[in-house]
Amino acid sequence: MESEQITWNPQAGWTPAKARLKNVSLVFYFGTRQMLACGARFNELRAMFPAAHIMGCSTGGQINSSDVNDDEVVAAAISFDTTKLQLICQDISDTRQSRECGEVVGRALSRADLAGVFVLSDGLNVNGSELVKGLVAAIGPGIPLTGGLAGDGADFSETLVGGNCIPRARMVVGIGFYGNSIRIGHGSAGGWDSFGPRRRVTKSIGNVLFELDGEPALDLYKRYLGPEDTKGLPGSALLFPIQVHDPEHPDSSVVRTVLAVDHEARSMTFAGDVPQGWTAQLMHGKFDRLAEGAADAARQAQLGLEAGEAGHQFSILISCIGRRLLMGQRIIDEVEAAGAELGDRALRLGFYSYGEISPHAKSGVCELHNQTMTVTSFAEVGQ
Amino acid sequence: MHHLILKQIAKATDAAGAVNLNKLAALVSGAYEEFDRDRRRTDRSMLLMIEEIDANNRNLEQLVAERTSELKAREADLRVQNLRFDVALNNMTQGLILYDSSARLIVCNHRYIEMYGMSPDVVKPGCSLRDLIMHRKDIGSFKGDVDEFCSSVLRNVALGQITHSILEATDGRLIEVVNRPLQDGGWVTTHEDITERKRNEERITHLAHYDALTDLPNRALFHEKLKQRLACIAPGEQHAVIYIDIDEFKSINDSLGHLIGDELLKSVAVSLGRCVKETGFVARLGGDEFAVVQTAIEDQQEVSDLVARIYRSIREPYDCLGHQVTTDASIGIALAPQHGSDLDQLLKNADLAMYAAKAAGRRTARFFEPEMEARVKARRILEMDLRQAIVDGGLEVYYQPCVSLADNRIIGCEALLRWRHPVRGMIAPSEFIPVAEETGLISELGKWVLTTACLEATTWPDHIKLAVNVSPIQFKDDTFALKVVAALAASGLSARRLELEITEAVLIRDDEAALAILHQLRAIGVRIALDDFGTGYSSLSYLQRFPFDKIKIDRCFVSDIASPNGSSSIVRAVVSIAAARNMTTTAEGVETEEQRRLLRTFGCTELQGYLFSPARSAAEIKMLFSSLRAKRKVMV
Repeated sequence: MESEQITWNPQAGWTPAKARLKNVSLVFYFGTRQMLACGARFNELRAMFPAAHIMGCSTGGQINSSDVNDDEVVAAAISFDTTKLQLICQDISDTRQSRECGEVVGRALSRADLAGVFVLSDGLNVNGSELVKGLVAAIGPGIPLTGGLAGDGADFSETLVGGNCIPRARMVVGIGFYGNSIRIGHGSAGGWDSFGPRRRVTKSIGNVLFELDGEPALDLYKRYLGPEDTKGLPGSALLFPIQVHDPEHPDSSVVRTVLAVDHEARSMTFAGDVPQGWTAQLMHGKFDRLAEGAADAARQAQLGLEAGEAGHQFSILISCIGRRLLMGQRIIDEVEAAGAELGDRALRLGFYSYGEISPHAKSGVCELHNQTMTVTSFAEVGQ
Repeated sequence: MHHLILKQIAKATDAAGAVNLNKLAALVSGAYEEFDRDRRRTDRSMLLMIEEIDANNRNLEQLVAERTSELKAREADLRVQNLRFDVALNNMTQGLILYDSSARLIVCNHRYIEMYGMSPDVVKPGCSLRDLIMHRKDIGSFKGDVDEFCSSVLRNVALGQITHSILEATDGRLIEVVNRPLQDGGWVTTHEDITERKRNEERITHLAHYDALTDLPNRALFHEKLKQRLACIAPGEQHAVIYIDIDEFKSINDSLGHLIGDELLKSVAVSLGRCVKETGFVARLGGDEFAVVQTAIEDQQEVSDLVARIYRSIREPYDCLGHQVTTDASIGIALAPQHGSDLDQLLKNADLAMYAAKAAGRRTARFFEPEMEARVKARRILEMDLRQAIVDGGLEVYYQPCVSLADNRIIGCEALLRWRHPVRGMIAPSEFIPVAEETGLISELGKWVLTTACLEATTWPDHIKLAVNVSPIQFKDDTFALKVVAALAASGLSARRLELEITEAVLIRDDEAALAILHQLRAIGVRIALDDFGTGYSSLSYLQRFPFDKIKIDRCFVSDIASPNGSSSIVRAVVSIAAARNMTTTAEGVETEEQRRLLRTFGCTELQGYLFSPARSAAEIKMLFSSLRAKRKVMV
């Protein structure tokens, strides 16, 4: 396996203008909604890699090695030695069909030699938890499933996803890796610290949270955000992710991030379910702890990769937009921390998302995560 | 240099290596702003969190305080409940032990420990059933096999069976032990000293079967025992059922008081017991009625001998609380199976025989005879016919003149009741009056005779008096005097023309009440005659007690007045007593001139009898008055 990084910016266009690699079978690319919406980037890539599967999405910032930026499109072209690929695109018109959509994609990718799945999904019109459940139900819990939900900076207005087509909203793209050469390592960690009282989810419907301890959830957030950050809702709500767990299973907690707020209903819509009766606790992040979390995710991915030391490696880093909103320029801390774990020989790119998909570090069950850094590393071993 | 500033410099440096200072300054400034914002955010959130946690702490503290006081209150409640439970448990009359499913004592009360004089050091929570029974064995309050007993208890508990047993303690107490299995596999045992209860039960059973006064079997037990005897009567064997009614017991009670009456009954009971052989028994059926049952009788003579023994002992004078009391009895005898082997039949027959003995004048015994039943039946028919006659007007009042011995003139008439039976014709008063007295019909008849006769007498000449007989039964009615007044008022007859004839039985029974009535009658002017003098007790004290206007000498004295050694001396004596006390005398049943002559000689005032006239109907008597009046006019 080999991979090559290419970038695009309005001033220079694609750099390098012509790829060094031959037999490129897969291209990932990530950029802001504004840079991808016109479809020119896809068309240019298609022209450069006529035989490759090309998948990408809009983001809340792109990760390119140890840099985070908003002003260039990052892409990676990959050539596999023996690994076969299959790409599936599925439109989704109704959020309530998220699980069904996951099942459709999963079933289409399912084959006896399926070794892993990577998925990119619309970040605003899909219930990520349900999508993942549908996928896992179709491909089975043993197949590594990673990916992320597309982002839209701090705007939360529209996210785009494309697979062998111009990126568009309400799209889910999954790519299956087949054969026994491919190695996929994955890791996911947050580094957020819970704080303040534990609260009870006293009213919620699916991923819409109405009340915590009988108080409207949005009121609580506004109080914590203060007048300055309240103006930045819903994006600023990401500064205080929420950790939820079933009171009967306190060890299986998940972190949820806000997708939207309803000022009238004083409710908040999260990227995954917030079941009524569960326990919730606010979280906050410190730069060092978040960077440490990113390093932890990278470590997990490396451990799981089982690749030979000399082998070429390619890693996709998907980190939550909330982390970036909090850390500002210090966001490079987490990218560098992850990079340090992955090593120089790994080609690294990624993006800031509205949700991360990866198996749970403890339970091994694939889930939708929020506010984490998720690292998926690919390598190929010789036959 | 900080890696951030290095990154910022890198970002502000163009491809040619020139640093854009403005860009760099903007990046550095932005980083400062970000730090400030993050610090403000952190400060704010920490402050809020502290407030929230403070509030939560306060809530928790309040909750803890509330819960603590709740717990304290509950604890106090529990203490009170425990105390009550303890008081209840230890004030139970029963001994109580609660065992758990492994047969170990959970709780037991003091009563249990006391009941068997056990040691509280042994009998305490945790001690096993076996330890406990073993301890009882050691101290001598349990006599059985310990292991066998424990196994039996555990077996029944396992089966979920409630067991009741009554055990006799070594000191003779009776203890009822109840084991009740519980749902959790344990059980509760209660021990109750039922010695007193059993004794009371026995007492109650005794009271239900024995007469409290004499301690003889009562009627219920008598029936039961007789029934048993009848059931196992051997062929050729006879049982005798002897009913004994103490004659005139009521008079003894009335005259000497209940205490002496009771004493007499007790003495009779003892005497009867002595008369009966081992195979027989005595019972008190109630009041003055006793029964003797003698089984395995060989012949009637044996019964007669027994009855003779009974009479001998009853007729012995009894010393009752210092009073010498003599008494007698009417006895009825029925034999089984000769007179019936069915209990009811036999009892009825013995009763009939006793009734016959009474009817024969008491103081005698009668064996049952089938005719007795017929007689009773006939009597019942007579009673029914009499009731019908009252309704149908089958009764009539006849009048027998009473004549002055001095001038042979009619001076009065005695009203006599006559019953003309539609089938049997005329029925003698001696036949139906006792029936009327027994059934209470006499009151109605008496009232009717009085009213009818008073009305009739108003049609007679003014100097002719009316005599009406009054039964002792009528004197039991407190309003009798009023009834007489009412009859006089209704008819318009002068009280001076009415004479009421009573027998000495009126005075025997309820002296004071009867005397009061007699005085009331006397007060309104009614004359009182003593009837049938000389036939009963003829106690002269009666004459002393009430100033009668007249004595009627019974026909039995008149009939042989003329014969040598006859009753002339008695008649003379009576007449003389009467004269001395300003009473007139009427001789009844005068049939011959000789009798009239003698009576006149003795100084008797009046006569009644066939010699002058039998009793006549109202119409006939009126005709007699008319004819006599005419004769007198002719004579004049």
